[in-house]
Amino acid sequence: MLSLQHISKHYQVGGNKNFVINDISLDVDEGEFVSIMGPSGSGKSTLLNIIGMLDEPTDGYHYFVNEAVHQLKERQRSALYKQYIGFVFQAYHLIDELTVYENIETPLIYQDVKGSERKAMVADMLDRFQIVGKKDLFPAQLSGGQQQLVGIARALIAKPKLLLADEPTGNLNSKQGEEIMELFRKLNKEDGVTIIQVTHSEKNAEYGTRIINLLDGRVESSKKF
Amino acid sequence: MIKNYFKIGWRNMMKNKFFSFINIFGLSVGLACCMLIALYLNYETSHDSQHKNAPNIYQVVTAFIQNGNKRMKMPNTPAPMAGALKREFPEVIETARLLKLFIEDKTIIQFNPANGERKSFLEEKGYLADASFFKIFTYNFAEGDAANALANPRTIVISQKLADKLFGTQPALNKVIHVNSNTNGEQDYTVTGVFKEGKTPSHVDANFFLSVNGGNMEGFIKRQANDFASNNMFYTYLLLKPGTNAAKLQVKLPAFMDKYASKDLKNMGFQKEQSLISLRDIHLSSEVESNVTPPASKTYLYVLFSIAIFTLIIACINFMNLSTARSSKRSSEVGVRKVLGAEKSTLIKQFLGESILMTLIAFIFAIVITLILLPLFNQLSGRVITLSVSKDLMLFFEFLVMALITGVLAGSYPAFYLSSFNPVKVLKGKLTNSLAVVAVRKGLVVFQFIISVVLIVASVVIARQMNYMRTADLGFAKDQQIVVPLRTTAAKSAYAALKAELQENSGVISIGGSAYYPGIFNPSDNLIYKEGQTTAEGKRTRLNYVDDNFLQTLNIQPLAGRLFSPDFHSDTTNGIIINEKAAKEFGFSSAKDAVNKKLFNKFQDNTNTFTIVGVVKDFHYEDLHLPVTPYGFMLNTAGFNYMVIHAKPGNIASMLKTIEISWKKYDQNDPFDYSFLDEDFDKNYQADTRLAGIVGYFTVVAILISCLGLFGLAAFSAEQRTKEIGVRKVLGASVKTIVSLLSVDFLKLIIASIIIASLLAWWLMNKWLQEFAYRKDIDWTIFAYTATIAVFIGLITIGSQALKAALANPVKSLRSE
Ligand SMILES: Nc1ncnc2c1ncn2[C@@H]1O[C@H](COP(=O)(O)OP(=O)(O)O)[C@@H](O)[C@H]1O
Ligand SMILES: [Mg+2]
Repeated sequence: MLSLQHISKHYQVGGNKNFVINDISLDVDEGEFVSIMGPSGSGKSTLLNIIGMLDEPTDGYHYFVNEAVHQLKERQRSALYKQYIGFVFQAYHLIDELTVYENIETPLIYQDVKGSERKAMVADMLDRFQIVGKKDLFPAQLSGGQQQLVGIARALIAKPKLLLADEPTGNLNSKQGEEIMELFRKLNKEDGVTIIQVTHSEKNAEYGTRIINLLDGRVESSKKF
Repeated sequence: MIKNYFKIGWRNMMKNKFFSFINIFGLSVGLACCMLIALYLNYETSHDSQHKNAPNIYQVVTAFIQNGNKRMKMPNTPAPMAGALKREFPEVIETARLLKLFIEDKTIIQFNPANGERKSFLEEKGYLADASFFKIFTYNFAEGDAANALANPRTIVISQKLADKLFGTQPALNKVIHVNSNTNGEQDYTVTGVFKEGKTPSHVDANFFLSVNGGNMEGFIKRQANDFASNNMFYTYLLLKPGTNAAKLQVKLPAFMDKYASKDLKNMGFQKEQSLISLRDIHLSSEVESNVTPPASKTYLYVLFSIAIFTLIIACINFMNLSTARSSKRSSEVGVRKVLGAEKSTLIKQFLGESILMTLIAFIFAIVITLILLPLFNQLSGRVITLSVSKDLMLFFEFLVMALITGVLAGSYPAFYLSSFNPVKVLKGKLTNSLAVVAVRKGLVVFQFIISVVLIVASVVIARQMNYMRTADLGFAKDQQIVVPLRTTAAKSAYAALKAELQENSGVISIGGSAYYPGIFNPSDNLIYKEGQTTAEGKRTRLNYVDDNFLQTLNIQPLAGRLFSPDFHSDTTNGIIINEKAAKEFGFSSAKDAVNKKLFNKFQDNTNTFTIVGVVKDFHYEDLHLPVTPYGFMLNTAGFNYMVIHAKPGNIASMLKTIEISWKKYDQNDPFDYSFLDEDFDKNYQADTRLAGIVGYFTVVAILISCLGLFGLAAFSAEQRTKEIGVRKVLGASVKTIVSLLSVDFLKLIIASIIIASLLAWWLMNKWLQEFAYRKDIDWTIFAYTATIAVFIGLITIGSQALKAALANPVKSLRSE
């Protein structure tokens, strides 16, 4: 599904190049569930953002569903991104001014999905996550676990092939975290969504089919189950 | 999608009520200013558009040339001009003459119904017009037939308003009314038409039109039938054949003047150059002096236009600044939306949607404000502008477009700024404003304050000039002077008896009679020269005809020789008293030198000789816009237009009562009317008073909106620094140091604005002051005042917020972070 070849990213600090990602090569197949681990500052988020095309590497080749991302223009990249990728954050990043319903609906609006169709899709999603009763509440009125559920529902609404999650359980207690992980596993198994998550928890990492350890911007180890 | 934008916009607005209030209030007021001024500009530019023939109507304009010096163009032409032009040029289909009854005068109009009380009114805005006038111009006749209305002698066409006043609900047509004017004498006229005053203004603001024939002017016009040089008192209008090129016709006018006027002009010692001005240009042209009604003042239009634009800009700046200052609050939303697939252009549209929503709400308030303030604005600007939601739909649509444009302008900068955030960066943490955007914000605050400070300086300078003009020594006593117009033959002949009786009154200092008095139009003038010179060296000298007590009544001071006196009989035949300026211009070495010398004036083939009996100190017979020019008084014994009564300070009301009782004794027929000389004189400052009023009001508005913006910024900055302030307080900082910490940045901006604005205002207002021949020049005290006012206002605005932040409990603010 995606292939990174000799990807590097550095920041210019003073006269020195500070490498955050240092020559990483990585292939992820469709249907995989990858967990990325590593100490704080090792470049996990940066790597995830590069995969998600939110950030650009300073070097290397990036292929996604057989497209050479590093050669694409902003618009094309954005189109590709919209079609295939969903994002989940540690801090949920729901839009405070929008209701649960509207938060979930937003990606569809940006994809120019018709109103009636949107309604059906959002209703379906609310139903699936069992949050129909909360659809008119605002994020501030929800608990952290509920907010993250909405965040995931929103990431999934446009039926992405690839779900990227940056410490999705970082702000949740262990029970809530477990529920989210179960959900991920189900998504991966039953719906065939490819998932790449960043996590600090060994336990959560083990939900994945592969664990990659980063250290100082390099892949320290990678093992498949 | 649009619905979505508006929904989010609305929620954001409701969530930040304070900022929304500042923005909507500012934009409402800014838009209302623009609407009022747009209405005004619309009114001013619509003059005479109602006439069907408008594109083919022209007014004949004259430039008088003497000794090679061209004076301002005037729309005044002699009586035979119209007829000759029609005869001479086939492209001139129709011509009409219009003569204004003396401007400062009122006409007595009386109606004596067979059964009922006699009605008698003093009416203004009367004209004599040729019958062809209504063939050229479109008037909506409620009664009578426009085409023939003024064909017969002693016929009158009146406005609906006057008809209502005279006849109530009765038809006006064919009623006979008595008309008595200084210009045209006293006759009976038959009403042959009533016209409705439309909504569209005309440069001819007539209340009634008299036929040219049948009054005193008929004889005068007949006598002048071949005089193309003098009697330049008629407005001549031409209706050209459709498709005629007016410029080509204008080229033929010098030859025409050669043929008809060259001989007379040579005798008179000046030349005339004729040109044409298109009807629709008359009201907007500043090239032609003293037209039927004063043209729109260009300065005034520019000032209004700039004020409208600047108020709106100030409001837009508030919106921009508050939006970008609060951008950190919106940045994560931008980041998330981008992650969810929003493109930059989509986000730009979203933010523009919000600003447009805000301006649309402001638009509704602005319309309400406009409707409420229109009467006040009319009073300020001296216009009768109307606005109704049903009749002016097109105008409202234009206002809506204006509001939308404002929304886009105000929203574009924040929209581009906010939508350009990088999602990776903003989602990582709080975003601090970039230096560039802070610099822009500071620049915009300075710009706002420059506008406000310029307006403050302008207000102060205008107020000082107005005060100077009202209190300046005019060279005569202008207070306690009651002017009683003597309009009719009966009133004029009653003058001597009236004067004799009133002079006995202990409240009266002195009484004088005259043809004109200072402050009103003084139409009489002659080219006068001294012995040894010719008419070509003559100086244009205004002349007034007075009795032997007028100069004493006005307290005009003799410098050399003497004032008129009944002891010198020769005074009435050829005595003249001139002002200092005249003595100088005629070439006398001193005032003393001028006394008993001879002066001459050539009129047609006669030469008149005068002897100077005295020279008086210069006095302002015209307002302070104009320099003092040569002036002469001649002695008359009767036939005065005005009786001027200098009363002792005290009970003016009872004095007026006394005068009225005497008046009734000697003239039972005419209504008693009076005015105060000082008020009449100050009427010349009407345009300036209006300017002062408008600038004053808008200054307050501009300051208010700017301060609201500043207040918002200060509040925001204090809010942002809550934690810092808390820490500083815990570390022992006093309230004073914290207030100054928070205020000093803003104060620097205000001071920078004051410096730039002072320079700009000094240059601008100096230009404005050049319009006055006598002025109170700008000095440093004005800037001292202004700076004090601006710093004071700024300090209150910012200081209040800083103080609030400084007094907050640090424990609370630290915990909440
Ligand atoms: N804009 C930037 N400038 C300089 N260094 C940066 C910037 N953004 C991130 N970094 C550095 O990149 C490194 C990796 O960051 P990140 O990918 O967020 O790590 P992780 O998610 O593993 O904790 C960190 O050391 C951080 O300091
Ligand atoms: Mg991270």
